[in-house]
Amino acid sequence: MNIVLLYLLLLKATATSFSGLTSLPVVRNDFVVHRQVLTDRQLNAAVVAGRSVPGPNGLYIVSVGYFIGGIPGACAGWLALVSPAFLMIPLLQYVGARAERPAVRSSIQSLTLAAGGLIASATIPLARDALHGPLSVAIACGSFVFMVFTDHDTLWIILGSAIIGLLAGLLV
Amino acid sequence: MIAWIYSTGMTPFSVRRLSLLFLRVGNLTFGGGDPTMAALQRELVVTRGWLTPERYGLIYSLARATPGTNLLAFCAGIGWQLARLKGALAAVLSASIPCAAAVVWFTYVYTLWRSNPLAMSAIVATLAAAVGMMAAASFQLLRPRWKPGSRFRAAVIFAAGFALSFFLKLPPIQVLAIGALAGLIWRAPAKV
Repeated sequence: MNIVLLYLLLLKATATSFSGLTSLPVVRNDFVVHRQVLTDRQLNAAVVAGRSVPGPNGLYIVSVGYFIGGIPGACAGWLALVSPAFLMIPLLQYVGARAERPAVRSSIQSLTLAAGGLIASATIPLARDALHGPLSVAIACGSFVFMVFTDHDTLWIILGSAIIGLLAGLLV
Repeated sequence: MIAWIYSTGMTPFSVRRLSLLFLRVGNLTFGGGDPTMAALQRELVVTRGWLTPERYGLIYSLARATPGTNLLAFCAGIGWQLARLKGALAAVLSASIPCAAAVVWFTYVYTLWRSNPLAMSAIVATLAAAVGMMAAASFQLLRPRWKPGSRFRAAVIFAAGFALSFFLKLPPIQVLAIGALAGLIWRAPAKV
């Protein structure tokens, strides 16, 4: 895939989301469903990679870029990740005063809720790919509970699930 | 601002110090944007005195409303506030390049190990964990609005986002645009 096109498609995903994983449905739609240059498994692995290192949650975009276009693809992913950040500058300069207007606040709130529904929708196909058998379902449920009910770092989920997977691999 | 910095008697600002701070905090704090922005609040407002609490609050709020990754928008805002374009570039690059390189390395290791059965059992388990993380990410966007007086609105918009995407197969951008429009028409309660 052309690197400029890859950058523009990833930019579309990052620039239309308001937090790390909310860009995931757009990424899946463009690269897995329409263009078929990425598999659900690779997308899932990209999410794991993005959550396994420190830094923003949206880092998985860099991994998506790497899967599709190698190192140049990763650079396109990084550029797509950082580009929307600079929209902050005109916002800070000119529209900061309007951020608390009820209409703007209400619109952002409902957009975030719709993004939650979108993520739930994007989770289902990834779950179909990743969950096979009681152990993987238990790990997914444990991961959900850990994320929702504790303040501990997600690194522990990645490490814990990898250790469980290794032990299961040794026992089989 | 400068007067406030010196009145506190704290570390004087320089772009180099700003870069080093974002390099350290931005690349060593696990858990995504919120823990990192909390750590930076301590460093910028309390420890170094480069920002007033009010200015930090404004930049934090605007970063949450900026499209894209909130943490990087926050870095750009802080950098711009302190040293204009030079500061914004220094903060965003320092906070994003090392961790992006780490993600590439992690992805490379994944592609190397996928033919090893034992490594694959570990990787498959982490992929299952990612499903739980995504479900939790979805739930955590709903949770702040799940309050008395706003539950019905939150549930309807969340469920509509899900249904428009999953059943009607609408592209995500259209779903988000409908969500934003819904917010303009169906206003959130004032104190939620």
